[in-house]
Amino acid sequence: MTYAFAAGDRVRVTERSATGHTRTPRYIKGKCGVVERVCGAFRNPEELAYGRTDGPCIPLYRVRFSLSDVWRSDAARPGAAVAADTVDVELYEHWLERDGTS
Amino acid sequence: MVHDVGGSSVREPIVRAEHAVLPWELRVDALMWTLTDAARPGGPHMTVDELRRGIEALPPDDYRELGYYAKWLLSMIAVLAERGIVDAAQIERRADEIVRERGHVHP
Amino acid sequence: MIPAHRERDFEALEAAFREMLVARGVLSDRDVEERVERMHACRPALGAQVVARAWFDPDFRARLLADGSAAVRELGIDVGALKLVVVANDERTHNLIVCTLCSCYPRMLLGMAPDWYKSVAYRARAVREPRAVLAEFGVVLPPGVAVRVHDSTADMRYLVLPMRPRGTEGLDEAACAALVTRDAMIGVAIPEAGPART
Repeated sequence: MTYAFAAGDRVRVTERSATGHTRTPRYIKGKCGVVERVCGAFRNPEELAYGRTDGPCIPLYRVRFSLSDVWRSDAARPGAAVAADTVDVELYEHWLERDGTS
Repeated sequence: MVHDVGGSSVREPIVRAEHAVLPWELRVDALMWTLTDAARPGGPHMTVDELRRGIEALPPDDYRELGYYAKWLLSMIAVLAERGIVDAAQIERRADEIVRERGHVHP
Repeated sequence: MIPAHRERDFEALEAAFREMLVARGVLSDRDVEERVERMHACRPALGAQVVARAWFDPDFRARLLADGSAAVRELGIDVGALKLVVVANDERTHNLIVCTLCSCYPRMLLGMAPDWYKSVAYRARAVREPRAVLAEFGVVLPPGVAVRVHDSTADMRYLVLPMRPRGTEGLDEAACAALVTRDAMIGVAIPEAGPART
């Protein structure tokens, strides 16, 4: 298995709508984060959801995002995330691209 | 989609009360794990991902209003019916019959 | 799909569905009963056992954080194909687990998920306003503690390893395990020395 990304890499979640079943939540699309760990490779849920169980395993990563980046418009709300708060999301490789911005 | 709720503008307080799981709900749960068990002879009859896909296909109002295990049950029947393993209409008729046999009043 | 009338008798529908599966040789009623029995064996005391061991054995703790499933198996707990990620609270970090897309949960170690964990309200709010959610559960974090939310979107399942509470220095491992609640291992509670509540 070849992994496109490694822990510490900056990645961006592809912003596209998908028909059918996916495991990429809407709220994280288009956001940039850092790979926290490589989880391994697993069968694609987008295929498994239609009974296609013989496909290849694909790389899965945990990616860490700053919550205040994800919810920029929330900054002033009580109970909102503070600067150091994060969310880690498991994302399949085909939903990630390298983020070249600093 | 209806199930993709992370961050959606829900200002509801979280209801902490927990209901005791009913026996039929436990059986629905057990059915799902049995049907998706890769270790069974003959292999699984469906995947957990198909269960999720079936639940996600529910109309939004139903997704919100139906009980957790009601959604599981409807999804499992739909997925297995797609595959021709069960006949959904016949299950529905039989369920109505069971209700009549029990003597419940059913709308 | 069968019309989802909300008044439908789902208990009868389950019976009819199972009846057909049995009649068509897909499974037996005994299969279902055995599975229900196995489910009863999965309860938060198993997760608490793992947490307490980590408090008492630093090497186990390191292995647990590196490979959760392998470490849990060392204790004789059967987790099947579970891919467990254990996330540790410390003086600067508080972890909170959610599955925004459905209700993924480490059932083998915690038993069945509570209704609130599966609710749209929790799933919508935990990733957006975790501190408000924690406050609703009675958790107010000290200054300088960051919240780390984990959204269980794929194959991993998560267990929070809380910090060992102060005042437990005289307790043995079993007594410490009794202080660890299901809610603490999800991240909506913090264990305290003294009698555990649900």
